[in-house]
Amino acid sequence: MAKTQTGAGQRALAPARTTNRFLRDFRINKYLYLMMIPVIAYYFIFHYAPMYGALIAFKEYSPMKGILGSDWVGLKHFHDFFNSYYFWRILKNTLVISFYSLIFEFPAPIILALLINEIRSKSFKRVAQTITYMPYFISLVVICGIITDFTNADGVINGLFTFFGYDGQAMLQKPELFRPIYILSEIWQRIGWESIIYIAALMSIDVEQYEAARMDGASRIKQMFYITLPGILPTISIMLILRMGNLLNVGFEKIILLYNPITYETADVISSFVYRKGLLEFGWSYSSAVGLFNSVINLFLLITANYVSRKVNKNSLW
Amino acid sequence: MKRRLTSALILMMLAASLSACSSNNNPAAGNNGNTGNTGNTANDTEASGPVTYPIQTDEKLSYWGEINGNLISVAATHDEIPFFQDWQKQTGVPLKFTAPPTGQVKEALNVMLASGDLPDMIEYNFLGDFPGGPEKAINDGYILKLNDLIDKHAPNLKKYLQDHPDIDKMVKTDSGSYYAFPFIRGDEFLRVFQGPIIRKDWLDELGLPVPETIDDWTKTLTAFKEKKGAAAPFSVVSKPRFFNESGNGAFLGAFGVTRGFYQEDGVIKFGPAESGFKEYLKLFRQWYADGLLDKNIATSDSKALDGNMASGATGASVGNAGGGIGKWQPLVEGNDPKAVLVAAPYPVLNKGETPKFGQKSQAYASEGTVAITTSAKDPVLAVEMLDYGYSEEGHLFFNFGTEGVSYNMEDGYPKYTDLLLKNPDNLAPAQAISKYARGSYNGPFVQDQRYAEQFFALQTQRDAVGIWKNTDADKYNLPPITPTPEESSEYATIMNDINTLVDEMTLKIILGQEPLEQYESYVDKMKSLKLDRAIEIQKAALDRYNAR
Repeated sequence: MAKTQTGAGQRALAPARTTNRFLRDFRINKYLYLMMIPVIAYYFIFHYAPMYGALIAFKEYSPMKGILGSDWVGLKHFHDFFNSYYFWRILKNTLVISFYSLIFEFPAPIILALLINEIRSKSFKRVAQTITYMPYFISLVVICGIITDFTNADGVINGLFTFFGYDGQAMLQKPELFRPIYILSEIWQRIGWESIIYIAALMSIDVEQYEAARMDGASRIKQMFYITLPGILPTISIMLILRMGNLLNVGFEKIILLYNPITYETADVISSFVYRKGLLEFGWSYSSAVGLFNSVINLFLLITANYVSRKVNKNSLW
Repeated sequence: MKRRLTSALILMMLAASLSACSSNNNPAAGNNGNTGNTGNTANDTEASGPVTYPIQTDEKLSYWGEINGNLISVAATHDEIPFFQDWQKQTGVPLKFTAPPTGQVKEALNVMLASGDLPDMIEYNFLGDFPGGPEKAINDGYILKLNDLIDKHAPNLKKYLQDHPDIDKMVKTDSGSYYAFPFIRGDEFLRVFQGPIIRKDWLDELGLPVPETIDDWTKTLTAFKEKKGAAAPFSVVSKPRFFNESGNGAFLGAFGVTRGFYQEDGVIKFGPAESGFKEYLKLFRQWYADGLLDKNIATSDSKALDGNMASGATGASVGNAGGGIGKWQPLVEGNDPKAVLVAAPYPVLNKGETPKFGQKSQAYASEGTVAITTSAKDPVLAVEMLDYGYSEEGHLFFNFGTEGVSYNMEDGYPKYTDLLLKNPDNLAPAQAISKYARGSYNGPFVQDQRYAEQFFALQTQRDAVGIWKNTDADKYNLPPITPTPEESSEYATIMNDINTLVDEMTLKIILGQEPLEQYESYVDKMKSLKLDRAIEIQKAALDRYNAR
């Protein structure tokens, strides 16, 4: 997508004339260039400048000595982390929760968008959309309160089970139920909001294609598979790539609000570990080493996903 | 012309972005400078004569501290609390308060320290909640070593410590550094305030005595469940850790262990690794299986427990005289006018024994202590201001508030007024007292027994202390020891892993997700996480403490 845009409408120029061309372009579009400055400044100040703070992962950071003044310790913190008793468990949980959410949560808004697209009544469509994206605007703390109340031994969900003759137990006390609860509530929270982008993509599909298909006698299901889905495929793959880059960033707030020692086994992830180490134990250096490790894996996943996507369907971020 | 304007704009933006990012470095550098300066001023200043309050000063000091839990629904900032306004009037030192969000004190302090932007004074538990302990906080350059300052400018505290050498030993570190203005429980009576609580009216109705032994408890809870229809006969607060109050030895004490470290015959032991702990797990596992424990016991917080108490789902718990009996009594009465909550003794295995553990605080409680930071503009003024709490008039002020408003002197006895005890705005006494005085919680002062005599409005509360104090905790509990900064980071890493393991093991076995027999393998895991090293560190710290 990006490639076709930059390539369009420009003549290939000899390298020697590139500078010249740039200067001319600058003169013509100087206000556009000027408008770019705040954006560049934003990225520089808030995204690149703080990067030198990652240095503390290799130091014994003490705020009073400052980042540059603290003593170097090399890879000690990484070493400590990899050798930590809980390393494998945390890594495994992070990966499992991430892949579960990729498998179960990622397709959900696409399916919803397709369903909403099939609705004929305009007003019902609007109501359905509003209802599904409402949970996105509820504060996470409230969401977690609701989840805890619902899954209590005497909560609504267990009430149902009891009605059918099962004896209810507090669900958040069962390690094996943590992931389903997490993923299901995640879907409920975000499905409507995330479907908006797919619905927007659906709008751009040429109506004539449907008309032509109908002429040829394609059923609604067939139309969905042969026109609608391919139509939003570029959007899906871009969303997937973006998501891969965040794969290991499981939201720690929700985990922390929902877990307790008995579910650590399935719930404790890298980010909640970083939170406990960094903010509760003042282990700034250690937790930034763990965070850095997390980011490196994310970067690797993003590049891989982008590469695969470029090979497979010629659609990529860069 | 236009071009020049554009390039000027570009330059300005570049400059702005550069300065923005270089300012990132400034706080740290600035503080380094400060550290040196304040160190000098502290040494340079001469001893001043006795301070007369209010002090004449134009300086405004900044003060960082949490707002007491009792006041959460009453006041959002320190400025809305009369006590803190009067404190400034009494001492003559104007204060600018910052309060961390309730329940996130540790995180807030962490962020503040990392930013390097420190206030003049910090109210925090540096002994218990600062990783590395007070010695590290001083070494890292956050707070000042107060020895000289106290010597020269805090005559009241100095006198108190001289008169009470046992307390003096507690409020300093091994190397003899004073790091904060301490909170001291001035009387034995104030040091016990927590224990088992039970519904007396149910006991009477069922013809049962107040349970003493573990077997009594099993019988009683079973009766509560079967005859009183209690859905969660025994329930406790499990935030942030499972059965939070068990840290003091409730029920564990009967089996001769506690959840943390203790000393026995000169040896330091870690409760969860001792065989008594397995017996405790066995008991609670049985109770849970029999439905005698709250089904949500792993996740129940104080709100859930309040609800269970009020509705009569719970008939027994472990809690404080003030925050437990005092809070729940009106709740249970609201549902059942005959309801009475009373204290039960810490349980034992055989009748007539004395439990090994129970709640008993040290005279020096490290919460609510106030340290002076290295960025303090005028440490001497801060010391003089804080020393007020240990003076005679400051003692009355902290415990009882302002005479004529919150208390009246009757024959030399400071009596709380009706404004506090029968508040016209319908505040509970605990809240009203916290609004006008600090007697009911901690701070930089010596707590007065006469506060508790009035704060415990109910006879059951006053009796509770006498019932709960019958333990051997004094003999086994560790004094406030301080590992060295080097030891403590190692200790913290070890204990963090071990505590996670203990929390997990306790819950899994009690809730029946793993067989009791797994206990031994958990103990082995604790050993492999270097429990022995942690014990070694504790032992070394204890030896240094005893040698103080």
